[in-house]
Amino acid sequence: MFFLPIVVLLISSAQAAILTLQTPKIIVTSAAGAQSRSEPISLTEPLSMPVTLGKDDTLKLTFQIVEKDGGKGVQPHQTFLRFYDERSGEEGIQPVRVTNGGKAKFELNMAKPPLSLPPTSNTPLKVTLLIGSHLHSPLKLELFDLVVPASQPLPVHTEEPNFRPLPEIHHAFRPDQKMPPRPISAIFSVVVVAPWAVLLALWSQVIPRVPHLFSPSIFPFILTLGAFEALLMWYWIDLKLGQVLSYGAILGLVTILAGKQALSKIGDNRINRK
Amino acid sequence: MAPKSLTPASTNVVQTLWKAYSDHTSDRLKFIDAFLVFLMLSGIAQFLYCVLVTDYPFNAFLSGFASTVGQFVMTASLRSQVNPENKNEFKEISPERAFGDFALGSIVLHFFVYNFLG
Repeated sequence: MFFLPIVVLLISSAQAAILTLQTPKIIVTSAAGAQSRSEPISLTEPLSMPVTLGKDDTLKLTFQIVEKDGGKGVQPHQTFLRFYDERSGEEGIQPVRVTNGGKAKFELNMAKPPLSLPPTSNTPLKVTLLIGSHLHSPLKLELFDLVVPASQPLPVHTEEPNFRPLPEIHHAFRPDQKMPPRPISAIFSVVVVAPWAVLLALWSQVIPRVPHLFSPSIFPFILTLGAFEALLMWYWIDLKLGQVLSYGAILGLVTILAGKQALSKIGDNRINRK
Repeated sequence: MAPKSLTPASTNVVQTLWKAYSDHTSDRLKFIDAFLVFLMLSGIAQFLYCVLVTDYPFNAFLSGFASTVGQFVMTASLRSQVNPENKNEFKEISPERAFGDFALGSIVLHFFVYNFLG
């Protein structure tokens, strides 16, 4: 309960000092030397009319930077004037020289415009004061609107078109391949299957003698060969590669054994017959 | 060269050739020859379809055609190795060994064909 005042004191001392402007004033002078406008800037209300400069006029801005509590003049580490065109987004930063006592003066001569002025158009430039300091809180003050003669438009960068959205690409794809019409497919199915009929017809004429086909030493080999064909057809329908390779390896071993036996038996038969 | 027409002379030649073939070829060789004829017809039919109509499932055409061609090659070599009249050509390869090679080659060919058939 009695810690509260101590905490409040600590908080307020942790907050850095706040800066403010004392006697900010603008004076617009024409080329001949006549003062067309001279008025102080209010920090709380914006200027009623934007400051207009002809092509030979001069704008003089003076102010003093002081601490809010105490009124001591301060020379902050960074003082900038920012000219900002809201419509085009162009901005220019102008450093302002501030004396030790915090007094600052900035002159803008339209006959010799500073490089920091951005490309201008019909939109008024917003003028903002930006102050940065290690020892104080930063300060950003909107001062007034500035109307200057329009400048030449910015030269367009040679590569600028590449950074805008490019025209949409419309890809053209080859149309999907289609099956031929059904009658043609049917006819050619018959044409392709017909050789089987020819084969069966020819074979019926020429059946060779297979005297030992079903003998116990030869038949297993025939069976394993048939099993291999069945395995491959099963692979086409259902199996995966790893499965067919492993089953095939096992079946291959069996086939080799059966084959050795069968073929040697046939070879012996042939030699004995000779 | 005169265009081939069925004059009595050329018909005679064909007939004589056919008679010689059917008289002097053993049944087993005729069996293999029938298979060769079948393979050739099957390959021609598939190729005709591809050329005339469409090659749409191209992998299917390739595997079908390759199966007939590959099988033809292997059967032809089996026939030449098994023929007793060629015994002097293939001294180290017995007919049984030829059949074993044929069986192994056929199985490998069938495996690749089924792989590609899709």
